[in-house]
Amino acid sequence: MPEMEKKDQEKLSFDVIVVGAGLAGGTAALMAARAGLNVALIERGQTPGGKNYFGGTVYTHAMEEIFPDFWTRMPPLERPATEAGYWFLSETGLTRIMVGGGELSRTPADAYIGLMAKFANWWITQAQAEGVFLIPKTLVVDFIRDSAGRIIGVKTDRPEGDVYAPVTIICEGVNNLLTQKAGLIDHDVKPERVALVVKQLISLPTETINARFGLPDAEHGLAVSVMGDISLGLTGLGFIYTGKDNVSIGVGVDLDVLDNHHVRPYDLMQHFLKHPQIAPLIAGGQMLEYGGHLIPEGGWSQMPKLYADGVLVAGDAAAMVNALHWEGTNMAIIAGKMAGEAAVEAHKRKDFSAGSLKVYEDKLKDTFILKDLKQYRNFSKFLINHEDFMSVYPTFLNEALGKFFSGFGKPKREVYKNILGSLTKRKPLLKAAGDILAFGRSILGR
Amino acid sequence: MFHALVAVKQVPDTTNIRIDPETGNLIRQGVPTILNPYDAHALAAAVEWKQKLGGKITVISMGPPSTVTTIRECIEMGADRGIVITARQFAGADTLATSYVLATLMQYVHEQDPVSVVLFGKQAIDGDTAQVGPGVSIRMGLPLVTYAVKIHEINLEENYMVAERKTEAYNEIIRTPLPAGLTCEKEIAKIPYASLPNLVYSLKYEPEIWTHETPVMFPLDQIGLKGSPTWVFKTTQPELRKGGEVLKVAEMGVGPAVKSVLEKIKSSGVLNAVAGGAA
Repeated sequence: MPEMEKKDQEKLSFDVIVVGAGLAGGTAALMAARAGLNVALIERGQTPGGKNYFGGTVYTHAMEEIFPDFWTRMPPLERPATEAGYWFLSETGLTRIMVGGGELSRTPADAYIGLMAKFANWWITQAQAEGVFLIPKTLVVDFIRDSAGRIIGVKTDRPEGDVYAPVTIICEGVNNLLTQKAGLIDHDVKPERVALVVKQLISLPTETINARFGLPDAEHGLAVSVMGDISLGLTGLGFIYTGKDNVSIGVGVDLDVLDNHHVRPYDLMQHFLKHPQIAPLIAGGQMLEYGGHLIPEGGWSQMPKLYADGVLVAGDAAAMVNALHWEGTNMAIIAGKMAGEAAVEAHKRKDFSAGSLKVYEDKLKDTFILKDLKQYRNFSKFLINHEDFMSVYPTFLNEALGKFFSGFGKPKREVYKNILGSLTKRKPLLKAAGDILAFGRSILGR
Repeated sequence: MFHALVAVKQVPDTTNIRIDPETGNLIRQGVPTILNPYDAHALAAAVEWKQKLGGKITVISMGPPSTVTTIRECIEMGADRGIVITARQFAGADTLATSYVLATLMQYVHEQDPVSVVLFGKQAIDGDTAQVGPGVSIRMGLPLVTYAVKIHEINLEENYMVAERKTEAYNEIIRTPLPAGLTCEKEIAKIPYASLPNLVYSLKYEPEIWTHETPVMFPLDQIGLKGSPTWVFKTTQPELRKGGEVLKVAEMGVGPAVKSVLEKIKSSGVLNAVAGGAA
């Protein structure tokens, strides 16, 4: 009788608990299950990815590291990113620096444009097939500790909601409530270190997208970061990603900047979408989704401690995002893998202390994740100290090129003088040189 | 012992549904399926009364193999046994063929394990017919309360139930002998938030799969498309109401605006009818 089974169930125990069924959590759970451990993957949404909002790129190197045959598994991706680069907007102008072909024409491509709700769901299905036990619609609210204060499980919001495991991997996403409760970080996400990204998913026929973005077919896609006159003069980045029959378009700005300047996110979005160079690209499209999401951009300086007795943290919760390169999905996957492997090793040693779980951090140090985050540690500070960087130079670039390509029939010395003038009216030359130097330093990590 | 038998249906989430303007068919691709909301509330009522009386709940559903997910959701809410009726031969069934199959198999459940109440949602949100609940009840020979908003009392010793049903003008409180059939409005009970052990149990639960051959052999000409005298041959969307005409007084002046309005009323024939009535 089913009734009996239900009553017989004593406390719910697993070898590993993973909180959050995104890419980090799904991968951590998968690695543990692959090693034969009994894994509970607890997700608050109806389905994996259901609480995420993301249209951007996922990276082949990370997918291949988890599923060497990922390509034959038919992941639900939109298009390969065969053309990538930066667009610089002035009030009416647009300068594009794009690269296509060459390195970007490999098959499979290095990066694919995807929508996270679909992709994460698929990713977790792969993990379930290897034995991960997914518990959806359940919110983890706190930890269970033993008498020595070590974490031995989690409390959920459901009646009789306790779940036990000697090791828990936190992959809760940007809002680091559990990471705080685990004692790995002592504060909320800081508003100056987190970007609010608003995005629309716009439906357009495949042929229209191909024509407007200059793509030969649906096997080619465009991934663009947009700077300049998009964020009303604030530090922010726009983005455009082409899907099969949809376009992800949006803008991200640091939360404190929005607050300090009393700017509403949807006003930014409208300003961007109405730009004379942007509007025609999406004209006539039907809006399918409109939403927002926080992206942790604090990187190195905002990273929590990555482990403690009985607990590890990976992904957005650990601020594993490269704000300049917009890398994050790959960091989530690789860090998730290493957290999962650390849990497996801890089980082999039967030692779940901080000392035993430290192997996770040791492994991460050898990867691009901690190396890059360390190198870029001053980048978000650079933007805070150079608030106008993203508006002055893109505008100048447009003016300079505009003048260069329109000054016909004039002495060229005058044209150059004009171009220089359009910079110096915004920035003294020395200041501009200083900005460039500081920018260089911040990305080289010097 | 209290035994509630609840019939449920997996439906497309109609809040997301679109109709292909060219073919007139529902676009089902990518539309998530859900437990029909009225059925969820009917099940919630059964769960409420199981908490008061003890006993058990059986859920039964006819549909594609994916109905298993819907049954798991019912187990999560507190059902004890789940049955999926699925076979290619049942496909294309209208409410007549569906009621026939469900009534036959629900009678089978009842004979094996006597049922106190049979609960349905008042209708499914994808078909809106509200015919299957009554169709099954009458075939099973059950007294029927439709559009139920509340169960006041279930008395197993004296074998009766008191339930309240909603009509457009007033509510009726009805006493009926057991077993009885009930089609439910959403007000009948709130959806419970399942305990974690129930959720975990439901995720691993494998419902019983019944077909056109087991445990009852159905005559093939009475089920599926062959057993269905009605079928939907076209789906259309109602035309959207057009917005009214706007005359801007600021642009054309008060006099011409009033004149234009009066002319439009006259030509529509409304004014004559009203004036005639007043005279």
